[in-house]
Amino acid sequence: MTPARLVGLETEYGIYVEGRDPHDWLDEARAVVLAYAGAAAGPWDYEREDPRRDLRGFRVRQLASDPRDAQYDRPGQMPLSQEEQRSDRVLANGARLYNDHGHPEYATPECLSLRDLVAHDVAGERIVLACARARAAQTGRPVHLFKNNTDYHGASYGCHESYLVDRSVPFDRLYATLTPFFVTRTIYAGAGKSAVESPGPWDDVPYQLSQRADFFTEEASVDTLHRRPILNTRDEPHADPGRYLRLHVICGDANVSEFATALKVGTTRLVVALCERGWQPAIRVRRPVEAMRAVSRDPTLRWPVELDDGRFLAAVDLQRIYLEAAQRTFAGADAETDWVLREWAAILDDLERDPLATADRCDWAAKRLLLESYLEAERLSWQDPIVRSLDLEYHAVDPERGLGAALRQEGHLRAIVEETDIQRAMATAPTDTRAWLRGEWVRRFAPAIERIGWERLCVRSNGACRWVSLGPLMGGEVARLAAALREVDSLDAWLARMEGGSTDA
Amino acid sequence: MREFSAEERLQRPVPREPWTKPADDGGPKTPDVRRPDPSDLLRRMRRVDPDQARRYRQRSGE
Repeated sequence: MTPARLVGLETEYGIYVEGRDPHDWLDEARAVVLAYAGAAAGPWDYEREDPRRDLRGFRVRQLASDPRDAQYDRPGQMPLSQEEQRSDRVLANGARLYNDHGHPEYATPECLSLRDLVAHDVAGERIVLACARARAAQTGRPVHLFKNNTDYHGASYGCHESYLVDRSVPFDRLYATLTPFFVTRTIYAGAGKSAVESPGPWDDVPYQLSQRADFFTEEASVDTLHRRPILNTRDEPHADPGRYLRLHVICGDANVSEFATALKVGTTRLVVALCERGWQPAIRVRRPVEAMRAVSRDPTLRWPVELDDGRFLAAVDLQRIYLEAAQRTFAGADAETDWVLREWAAILDDLERDPLATADRCDWAAKRLLLESYLEAERLSWQDPIVRSLDLEYHAVDPERGLGAALRQEGHLRAIVEETDIQRAMATAPTDTRAWLRGEWVRRFAPAIERIGWERLCVRSNGACRWVSLGPLMGGEVARLAAALREVDSLDAWLARMEGGSTDA
Repeated sequence: MREFSAEERLQRPVPREPWTKPADDGGPKTPDVRRPDPSDLLRRMRRVDPDQARRYRQRSGE
């Protein structure tokens, strides 16, 4: 069986407000978050967060930051506290919405199924769009949001994946297994980019597969803002640290294609499961940072990857090493796993035979065909400045503008979820993870919540502040608790049922 | 499984795909069944401000 595993996505959105400039993005992103009109609770419980703790068993003194960011600070501006600046909101669907370094960020609730995850990721697009429109109505200035990872001028922001993993997996095995996989996953998970923003192989190509590959300079580290690593080693499990670690993946692109999101997460989830079972590939990639850029930029679309032993292997065949191991181990486990295995095999075959035949699934291929059709119709070249503007427009969240959204609407990108799934995800959390409990707390008792996080919340009751655990992580225990909680209709009764009267969390 | 020799990878000139098709004579074209109907999308793309990307600057995120 494929083990049940919590997964989540957190997306930082690009922002542009007409009549404003990047010096205003901290304030504008905060204002977008604050414009959320539904039930919400905050502030966030930062007490248990420790972004400097490393999976390898140490804490770094400080995290790297991008020195160029200071150009957007306003001199003399009174800084807000971190809490004020971030303006965290936990929503009734269990998600987290906040301002992260000048980007509205939407973190999905914890999900068990790919279908739930995709529904919640798309729900996030709708929610941030509604916030942007509400903010624009306040000021009269249109607010544009983009689900992408670059400004084409050297700044990047992320779409991060989280996977709950057994703590007993040695770091060396995680590194050896995941590095070659992430170097080559771009061939189906990349969102495409009409720019090259760092030195390396093929640095004059007009188009590459990945938005993010240019910004990765390290193989493994705890950093996320600068000197980014292929394997992020942040150790914040948001769960029992004795049993779990949270694999925090920062090297992926934000996807407009629902299929690409599902396959990106589905394949990674299987690779993590292989890792937990003691498997690791027999190959190692030479110079993984350079290899990831080469895969992204290779204009031949054959993607040879140099291995430690001097051989070259096509990225498609390197991915097949993982696919075949997953097929041997997990075929027949459940319908969702079989879907991932089937689609993974199919997309690798198509990428090998005719890469652009994946335009109904891969964002990079869909975008490239769109751009090619425009250039052909207008008789322009890839060097024309309109190309990057069209590239950016692919990622516009507004369905009236977004080119990727238009492809989705017209059925040219394969859908994973239906409109009813998305509407449900906008309002409610998955019912099989602790996110449901978080969401119900917010829905029913938001005014009483003084602080809230992934694992616990603090509620004021009878004049005292009490910490409450958000209960079991997933599965049958959540369902049993949910059934019991449906029978209570007051905060005190709910507290008594959840904690047996305890104030500890 | 296709392996590339070092010579093949490093010394053979890398064939570059043409990034635009040569201008045609306006005659009938075979529809590319992979592609969506371009007319609506072309209209949408023609409305895009060509300076949009030039103005688009962001703070570094995670």
